[in-house]
Amino acid sequence: MSIVPKETIEVIAQSIGITNLSPEAALMLAPDVEYRVREIMQEAIKCMRHSKRTTLTASDVDGALNLRNLEPIYGFGSGGPIRFRKAIGHRDLFYTDDREVDFKDVIEAPLPKAPLDTEIVCHWLAIEGVQPAIPENAPLEVIRAPAENQIYQQKDGPLIDIRLPVKHVLSKELQLYFQKIAELTLSKSNPSLFKEALVSLASDSGLHPLVPYFTNFIADEVSRGLNDFLLLFNLMHVVRSLLQNPHIHIEPYLHQLMPSVVTCLVSRKLGNRFADNHWDLRDFTANLVALICKRFGNTYITLQSRLTKTLVNALLDPKKALTQHYGAIQGLAALGHNVVRLLVLSNLEPYLSLLEPELDAEKQKNQMKSYEAWRVYGAILRAAGLCIHDRLKIFPTLPSPSPSFPSKGKGKVISTEPNKRKLGVDSSENRSPHKRLIATDGSDGGPSPMQVDRPTGDANPPQNSVRPSSSEQASDGNAPESRNAKEKDDSKGRAITRKAILDQIWKDDLDSGRLLVKLHQLYGDRILPFIPSTEMSLFL
Amino acid sequence: MDPEQVDEFVMGYLKKKGFNNAAKQLQEALHHNNGGTFNSTDYHNDPELTKLIRSFSQSENDPTRYRDGYSKLRSWAYNSLDLYKHELLRVMYPVFIHCYMDLVGKGHTQEARAFFNSFRKDHEMIHLRDLQKLEGVLVPSHLEEMEFARSLRQSKVNIKICQYSYDLLLQYLHRTESTLMLGIINEHINFQVYSGQPNSSSDDIDAVTIVGSFQETADHINQKEIQWGLLEDSLEDRLEKTGSLLSDSEKGQGESKDGDVDDSKKRSNEIGKQGSSLKKLKKDKAGNATAKVARQETSIVSPAPRVKPELALPVMSTDVEESILEDLRNRVQLSSVAMPSVSFYTFVNTHNGLNCASISHDGSLVAGGFSDSSIKVWDMAKIGQAGSGALQGESDTNDQNVGPNGRRNYTLLLGHSGPVYSATFSPPGDFVLSSSADTTIRLWSTQLNANLVCYKGHNYPVWDVQFSPFGHYFASCSHDRTARIWSMDRVQPLRIMAGHLSDVDCVQWHPNCNYIATGSSDKTVRLWDVQTGECVRIFIGHRSMVLSLAMSPDGRYMASGDEDGTIMMWDLSTARCITPLMGHNSCVWSLSYSGEGSLLASGSADCTVKLWDVTSSTKLTKAEEKNGNTNRLRSLRTFPTKSTPVHALRFSRRNLLFAAGALSKPAS
Repeated sequence: MSIVPKETIEVIAQSIGITNLSPEAALMLAPDVEYRVREIMQEAIKCMRHSKRTTLTASDVDGALNLRNLEPIYGFGSGGPIRFRKAIGHRDLFYTDDREVDFKDVIEAPLPKAPLDTEIVCHWLAIEGVQPAIPENAPLEVIRAPAENQIYQQKDGPLIDIRLPVKHVLSKELQLYFQKIAELTLSKSNPSLFKEALVSLASDSGLHPLVPYFTNFIADEVSRGLNDFLLLFNLMHVVRSLLQNPHIHIEPYLHQLMPSVVTCLVSRKLGNRFADNHWDLRDFTANLVALICKRFGNTYITLQSRLTKTLVNALLDPKKALTQHYGAIQGLAALGHNVVRLLVLSNLEPYLSLLEPELDAEKQKNQMKSYEAWRVYGAILRAAGLCIHDRLKIFPTLPSPSPSFPSKGKGKVISTEPNKRKLGVDSSENRSPHKRLIATDGSDGGPSPMQVDRPTGDANPPQNSVRPSSSEQASDGNAPESRNAKEKDDSKGRAITRKAILDQIWKDDLDSGRLLVKLHQLYGDRILPFIPSTEMSLFL
Repeated sequence: MDPEQVDEFVMGYLKKKGFNNAAKQLQEALHHNNGGTFNSTDYHNDPELTKLIRSFSQSENDPTRYRDGYSKLRSWAYNSLDLYKHELLRVMYPVFIHCYMDLVGKGHTQEARAFFNSFRKDHEMIHLRDLQKLEGVLVPSHLEEMEFARSLRQSKVNIKICQYSYDLLLQYLHRTESTLMLGIINEHINFQVYSGQPNSSSDDIDAVTIVGSFQETADHINQKEIQWGLLEDSLEDRLEKTGSLLSDSEKGQGESKDGDVDDSKKRSNEIGKQGSSLKKLKKDKAGNATAKVARQETSIVSPAPRVKPELALPVMSTDVEESILEDLRNRVQLSSVAMPSVSFYTFVNTHNGLNCASISHDGSLVAGGFSDSSIKVWDMAKIGQAGSGALQGESDTNDQNVGPNGRRNYTLLLGHSGPVYSATFSPPGDFVLSSSADTTIRLWSTQLNANLVCYKGHNYPVWDVQFSPFGHYFASCSHDRTARIWSMDRVQPLRIMAGHLSDVDCVQWHPNCNYIATGSSDKTVRLWDVQTGECVRIFIGHRSMVLSLAMSPDGRYMASGDEDGTIMMWDLSTARCITPLMGHNSCVWSLSYSGEGSLLASGSADCTVKLWDVTSSTKLTKAEEKNGNTNRLRSLRTFPTKSTPVHALRFSRRNLLFAAGALSKPAS
């Protein structure tokens, strides 16, 4: 009933020497005690208010007791708030922390410093309604920041949805430029003008202040427009142009940009229409990612590793859609053959077994699904093929047995071209169009690196002595194909003494030999078009 | 059962419940019956009815009936039609507190507490402070003792309610036979039924406060006529006169200035021009002095009516008058686009002891009253900052405060024997009055730095003291629930204003000196006629104790600030609240109107100074008064201080705003 329990009354009674207080009396007293205490506290609050304070102190209670002509409670008027401690073992029992003080200590203690005397300091809280930023005033940035933001937003009407803690103010021209580019990107109606805009973005100097706005714009639009294929494509074009612009220092914004780009690569669904060629978008974005990694891989050590991790995760998750797998493969493929070898080929076998049922026309009734599966299959084939091609094409650079070789090789590549096509058609008669596309892709890539790599191979200086024995030992007991390679190497090594390079890539060669076998097993003849012609001649 | 007994029961019941009419009728009927012409009273013979009647008288003491009845009524009210709900909910609070007090009165302490706790949430929003007071009441004797409870018991609450809501309520009560609730409602609520649609819930500000018995008296009192106009022949008038006599060039300048946003330019411009026109003015003043003797009545178009002073006002010396006039002439016109500069006096090293601060009219003197009974007066002009010279507006003059030779740079006034709760400067700044918990008021001279008079009269701590706008007279208010008017030359009060139901916490003079306003812990503000000592207005609307008051310079409006941070603007003539100003979230310690009354400054314990636009809102409300639409006053600016609660505010005559407060360490 009363918040003062009767036990408390009994305790108080005992403490003042009343021992024979009956329980009934205590029970009767309790509510009255509560009432009196409330009364005194009410007066104390009045005293507190008139002392212009918002914390109640012991002196206020003393003042209230004075008002009632009661003796104040002595011993609490120290000014500072009294610290209460919880009594151990009791949930709601508190006591004041009262230290025992030795008189000697008090007497011997040095005099405390005299408290500073009250003074008045004068300052301008505001001058004609504006608060000056002086130390006497409350720190402005804490309190005024929101207000400033508001003003800022009002000033830059069109940029209102860009929530950036930017202090600088854009010039009118830049605002206009940004607006125009954004419009063009969003409108998709004027491709020629958009191309011009991209060129401008890629070349104009002085766009740097806009970079944060662009990155934000891209991030916003990508997250908003995942269903809008053209918009995404446009945005990726914008990203590429920005990356290409030599005047823009885009590194600080990469972390904002990357998520959007990766989204465009491995999102489950890009565009909502059947006709949207999202494969193209993924291919384009894959190249973009590769470009970024190439350019900023040095400054951002973790960039590529993080990226590949994301992509591999996407690839290896069987729950992810095939489109996502495709994007991941393309992204990895674009990052170079090393990445493909390490991350794709190592997982190739399980993945293909996973893909197998999808590929089978009988089992997979869904036309769309099987189309996607073949698309993925093509992508992975191409990635593997390019990888093996890159591996193998190193060989010709080593031997260069005769000056006539390159021309010969070239001729052979050209000659194999139709053959390859045929092969493609043969191998996948019923779903030929895209297969052919991939096949051509592979053949396109074929000759050019060969030509490029040649000079470097030639430029390699002769180094060290021949160590055929070790190489032979190492190659012993390997797969027959590798023997083949060894033989080849041996012969080449004998012919020319460029053992250093051989040493260096010896193991790689073995691996690639093994890889080739494996790929052959997996893909059958479909891998063959990727084998550079010279090697082909060696194998066959 | 004996029919006589039943009759007795019924009579007793009706009387107890206050159904006097019914009782009378019944008595008549019984007489009639005794006469023998009336046919047999059926209830005497109907056992069912007898039982019912008996059950009423028996269950009278059953405490659970209150709870049941109330909770039923409550759920009914909460489930009622939305349109009428807020009116019906208004009924709940009086029913609630009376149920509680009934329970307490009958000694069911435990049930009362349980009842209170289970339903207090409903009313905490609006009536928190009342509930806190009532919560302590647990024993019947407390009801007698506590004034608040007594006044609630004795008075009826007025509730405006529309016809339909009223019918709904009565229907419900009759249908459910909840006679207990009906009894409480009949006993304690006075319905003012009006026809038509229910009011919107927004304007129930009068309905919200339960004001004891004096709702009617308040209405009655507020009918009285008051003359809120300024004094005839005030300095402002004279300035206007001289202004009209002056060449028109200045006026034109003034008008062109209004559109000027760059205030500082304008100000320097003004000062420059004023300097050139000063000689002219002085000439005019000489002419004016003669005009004053002749009481020449020139027709001045003034918006506010003029009244005669009811007190014998002190004669102002000519040089004081002159300086005031010059200040008025140099006044910066403030508006919502032309903000004042705020000079802030921060008390440091107060060790939580500063109880009050006061700033003289020209801002050059600052007084602080401390809890150690001392008063300290700083002369800011001497310290380095020319207080009145601050008009020049340089912001780099805040590096003074270094005493010339390490001595303390204030005047220490000792004499009180208790915490000093208030201090006030006389208009010219030559006297200081202070009030203290030792129940005395002391008059100090700032020239002699000595105590001149000790005024004893109050019986309890004196919370506030204020000099009249013309000096000589002053008003004080105290815990003894009175406000008193004094003159400097008498040690006895001239008038005692009694009527508040609780402490009188603050006092303020009307600009024409004929009235004082007092704010009290009973949550009302009252306006008193100084000459008669009568209460002429009661302003009801605050929800907690009133801490600060300010009168607009034209005498038409008053602002009051309370403990919760609400500021209310009142129209003195109608005693209506123009608009409540929400914005502060802690006690409003101080309020001040700018010189021409266009801005209101408020200082609060939440460490901010806020500026409010007064002109726009009053205009708006005047226009929309008929619609009953109360517009909020516009908050113009908020100046946060560095953890310094604002204790005092004063607009100087030149419209520079001075503020003072003690630096308090943020709560650790």
